Amino acid sequence: MTHSWTNLDDFQTYIDGGGIVEPNDRMPEEFRSEVFRFIEFHANSELMGGLTERDWIPRAPGVRLKQIFLAKTQDEIGHAHLLYQVAADMGVKSRTEMLEDLFEGRSRFHNVFHYKAVTWADQIAIAYLVDAAAFASQRAVFAECTYGPYKRVLKRIVAEEGFHMRHGEEMLLRLTEGTDIQRTMFQEALDRWWWPAVQLFGPDSDPDDPLLRWKIKSQPNEQLRHAYIQKYVPLLQSYGFTIPDPNLHFDESADDGKGAWVTSEIDWEPLIATMRQGGPDSRRRISNAAANYADTAWVRAALEATAVPA
Amino acid sequence: MIELSEAAKAYLLAFADDEHMIGSRHANWIGLGPFLEEDLAFCSIAQDELGHALALYDMFVPTGEIDRFALLREPADYRSCALAELECPTWDLALVRHWLYDSAEALRWSALVGSEVDDLGALATQALRDEAFHAQHAEMFVERVVGDRAARSRIERALAEVLPVASSVWTPPDGEETAVAEGVVTRSSASLAMVWADQIRTQLDGLGLAVDPQLAQGLDELPPASTRHHRINQFDRFHTSLGEVISLDPSAIW
Repeated sequence: MTHSWTNLDDFQTYIDGGGIVEPNDRMPEEFRSEVFRFIEFHANSELMGGLTERDWIPRAPGVRLKQIFLAKTQDEIGHAHLLYQVAADMGVKSRTEMLEDLFEGRSRFHNVFHYKAVTWADQIAIAYLVDAAAFASQRAVFAECTYGPYKRVLKRIVAEEGFHMRHGEEMLLRLTEGTDIQRTMFQEALDRWWWPAVQLFGPDSDPDDPLLRWKIKSQPNEQLRHAYIQKYVPLLQSYGFTIPDPNLHFDESADDGKGAWVTSEIDWEPLIATMRQGGPDSRRRISNAAANYADTAWVRAALEATAVPA
Repeated sequence: MIELSEAAKAYLLAFADDEHMIGSRHANWIGLGPFLEEDLAFCSIAQDELGHALALYDMFVPTGEIDRFALLREPADYRSCALAELECPTWDLALVRHWLYDSAEALRWSALVGSEVDDLGALATQALRDEAFHAQHAEMFVERVVGDRAARSRIERALAEVLPVASSVWTPPDGEETAVAEGVVTRSSASLAMVWADQIRTQLDGLGLAVDPQLAQGLDELPPASTRHHRINQFDRFHTSLGEVISLDPSAIW
């Protein structure tokens, strides 16, 4: 059955009543546009995340580890594959157009993938901190998600990201229980990745954020960020690492007297810079991906030229 | 780890190093495949090859020492072939190498199915199932792209570059004659090379690919065993990357 709505109020009533929107529904253009932009951003982030992690795979300190990180990165590329399909089916842009926009710097992806992994410990920091942040934010989308195809692929993505998060925990424990060199490497990586991971959740949500109103997101950014900080500050401290924030403290009176970790005021300029493709590694990351896409254009052209008509 | 003769160890070392090198070279394409579906497929092949390498190393390297053995030997101590070591930085080269190597690999595993070494036959049977997909993937991909004139030219140029070292995959491991006599492997590299060369020549003809006739004829001419003791020029940078992290702290567990 195809749904249609007479106006946005009618549509909102449907959403508030637990309705799910499917691609063939006559969804409001505002909904189509916002949800498409969100899924495209997610797809781009999965792909660029894979490219961030790939840099250290050739140097993995073990054959089995190389297999594991390949499988993990393959998952991320696979998520991009699924998400581009869901986004393309919304009829706004084709997958090719989305990829071309990404490689031309015309579309966005998560702030954390504008940074370079400097050492192998950064690879672990990404697995531990970034995958956990991504998991929390994607799980919050999956919780209610009113766009049917997105919710269905998120079921698989969230399950796999949960596995990545556990993998990150296991890898971190090895470094934690390891040698001085390993612990120092991870502390340095934590110094580099803590703030970008916290910033990944974004600034406080607009109270009238349409993605919250339409139940694509189930929680505002600040709630997710707060929960993340409460979980990871004590964990990292218990492993003997120092959070790179001189003003970090536990406020006994916060959270209605339950107490909470409070950070310095978050500087959003680095996040804003990444949204303008001005992050520390944005230029290299995008230009390398674009160059590779151009170098392999002949393969796609050959397959198109030799395609058997359906 | 099982008790193996020196000839058996030498035979398995050459194959394991080939699988390790090809798996690592294929792995370098993660995120860079020509389209997303191919990225996923080629990455799976890379993981399979690394899995084969691990299973082979596990037969003669003590438990807990495989990573240091695989990543930290001196270049002269590796026994991989030039075909597996090639960098192949463009997709046409990577595809041609994938086609030539995987068709040879399937034959190599088939000669181990009847091995008298404990567990090796079972491993070969399992690996052959993987290789059926790998070979099918490579052959279908080549067959499809050469239907396009521009792509055909690229593949022919890639063949001109890769074919001169293709038969290196059949360089006999040290002591191969003894390994055959002991029943480690049921066929020599020379006899497998003849089957492989006929197969490749038939495929080249079938696809109408223009290659230097001398290169095609020379596919079953085996390099001497000593060439497995020498690395190609592109190996040094690759070797440095293999050991970059693990050598930071030899006492560490990563």
